[in-house]
Amino acid sequence: MTKRRMFLRMITASLLRRRSRMLIALLSIGIGATILAGMVTIYYDVPRQMRSQMRSYGANMLLLPEDGETLDSEKLQKVLGHIGEDALVGAAPYRYVRLDMTSRQQSFTSAGTDFEQVLKTSPYFSVEGEYPANTREVLVGREIAETIGVKVGSSMELTYQPAVKATGDPAEDWTPGAVLTGSAEGFSGGAVSVTATLDDAAKIREITVDASTQTPEYGGRAQEDRLFLKQFVGKSLPLKMGEDVDALTGATVTSEAVVQALNTARAATAAAQPHTVRYDVTGILVTGGEEEGYVFMSLEDMRALTGEDRLDVAELSVSADEEQLNAYADAIAASGEGVTARLVKRVTKSETAVLGKLQALVFLVTVVVLLLTMICVSTTMMAVVSERRREIGLRKALGASDNSIRVEFLGEGMFLGLLGGVLGAILGFVFAQVVSVNVFNSSITFQPLLLPATVIVSMAIAATSCLMPIKRAVAIDPALVLKGE
Amino acid sequence: MALLELKNISKIYGELKALDNVSLHVDKGEWVAIMGPSGSGKSTMMNIIGCMDKPTRGEVLLDGVDISRESSKRLTDIRRDKIGLIFQQFHMVNYLTAVENVMVSQYYHSMPDEAEALEALGRVGLRERARHLPSQLSGGEQQRVCVARALINHPELILADEPTGNLDEANENIVLDLFRQLHREGTTLIVVTHDPEVAEAAQRTIVLEHGRIAREVVNENFVE
Repeated sequence: MTKRRMFLRMITASLLRRRSRMLIALLSIGIGATILAGMVTIYYDVPRQMRSQMRSYGANMLLLPEDGETLDSEKLQKVLGHIGEDALVGAAPYRYVRLDMTSRQQSFTSAGTDFEQVLKTSPYFSVEGEYPANTREVLVGREIAETIGVKVGSSMELTYQPAVKATGDPAEDWTPGAVLTGSAEGFSGGAVSVTATLDDAAKIREITVDASTQTPEYGGRAQEDRLFLKQFVGKSLPLKMGEDVDALTGATVTSEAVVQALNTARAATAAAQPHTVRYDVTGILVTGGEEEGYVFMSLEDMRALTGEDRLDVAELSVSADEEQLNAYADAIAASGEGVTARLVKRVTKSETAVLGKLQALVFLVTVVVLLLTMICVSTTMMAVVSERRREIGLRKALGASDNSIRVEFLGEGMFLGLLGGVLGAILGFVFAQVVSVNVFNSSITFQPLLLPATVIVSMAIAATSCLMPIKRAVAIDPALVLKGE
Repeated sequence: MALLELKNISKIYGELKALDNVSLHVDKGEWVAIMGPSGSGKSTMMNIIGCMDKPTRGEVLLDGVDISRESSKRLTDIRRDKIGLIFQQFHMVNYLTAVENVMVSQYYHSMPDEAEALEALGRVGLRERARHLPSQLSGGEQQRVCVARALINHPELILADEPTGNLDEANENIVLDLFRQLHREGTTLIVVTHDPEVAEAAQRTIVLEHGRIAREVVNENFVE
């Protein structure tokens, strides 16, 4: 038998045959290692866990179309491809329009959205009643509900004025890109018809005039005179002859007809296609925020009402730290889709701060627990040494050098550390899992590196804890112990 | 030829002279008993001979080497290599079996050898009890294990402190018979005792009183 085998035999015998005392030491190391492994697991898992928890504070990223660009559902899906699938908690698209409730002479900002996504991005939304599940159902903000007196189960008629923008400024009261057509009576009763296309700022971009009924050498020139037509471009409706535009020389009546046709067309369009739909109110939204002043409906309903597939903004809830969010934003900007991603700083900053504090707390608890473990193991080993004074004395009398005594006790301590570490790594994972399931409602994955790490740390702690007791063991005088008392 | 020689050794604890100018000469292969009442300095002498203590004054030559001025580390080495110890209270490692206890001695000396350890247990008649823990052995059996442990490394000197003090007569005889065997094989034996019967088994008895050698008795009836 080699010395090493005898060494191991002595150590294991000491631990196995002196169960009760060693069980206490093993227990303290095991518990320490359990907390260590559990805390480390939580420490590394907590940001992930907490980030998804934090997502209940609302969207932390906004997607907006860049100037001169538009956003629609298809483009949104493309842009979302730049965000990791695991990280994306939800992406709620919004289309805001002003809708009228003519019966009450009220108008509200209404949002078309995807309620399934809203549940994810704005979990703090509280709904009395139900979220709309079918078409022609709306969710009404509490403020509006109180103003107009609607309840869950009642219905309301909402009207969409296609040409009118929600700005309230008459100069811009035009749907960008709208095409206006109109006609007016010109010279000698002939009709002059005009078609004008508006740009994004609701100003005239293009104008074509049909003055074929007019005298070709006078009024007829209105359809081809570049100087005359050019002065309409860039102007907002309605127009005033002599102020906004000058009449064509010798064709005052025809010129007046062009202006009048445009003004009539504008008025006609504004009143032309109001689209009224009756909606059932399925729920009242209570948030305590500005959402209470909105009416929410599904994107499909919004599309049916306005005839447009457009989005104004998408609110994203992304489970990632600030750095990662910035990386996503950069990737989106670089994708050339014409979409800007903006971080909701208020949310991301506070998330980062809270997580940092939480991690610091977990770290502190771990350090304290390890210190306590060390004290506990040290005390137990101290007791073990006094209990084994005679044995240590005997070993010395039999020729054990101080180093042999050191190595034997260190060996026992480290063996305890090994057992406690393995025990702790397994129990610690279970502990972390229980904490995770109960506190964060999600399970965690086992980190294979945790086992060796816990074992090494436990062994190091056990060895450190043995230093003082070993010092005592070495100081034992064999002669004193062996005296016949 | 002297294996052990004490030259005018004294051990003084403050006012108390535990040993007072003691000289002793023990030849190789000799069997000496040391007797005396409690407090006569037996234990102190035993500790000094066993390299577990140093005299305040005087020289101790063990196998020609002066051990009275050695470091405790050197004393440990000398004790391990030259001396086999047997104690009144047996002193076994209580969580190790009989054979493992014998092997502990081998472990510190050189190499653990289970077969040799079992053979030594066989010599003291405990081959069958080799796998028992001390708690499963009687006092006599434990002391026989300790004899086996003391002789396993073939020491020059076996130093026994009241080896039969806690044994009944039957076991006392077994242990004394083992000593006789060892003596025949040429092992030097120093046995501290206050039992006259045990002392009479030796060739020579030294009687200590108040830290001095009061008298020395040669056993005329000693049988080789």
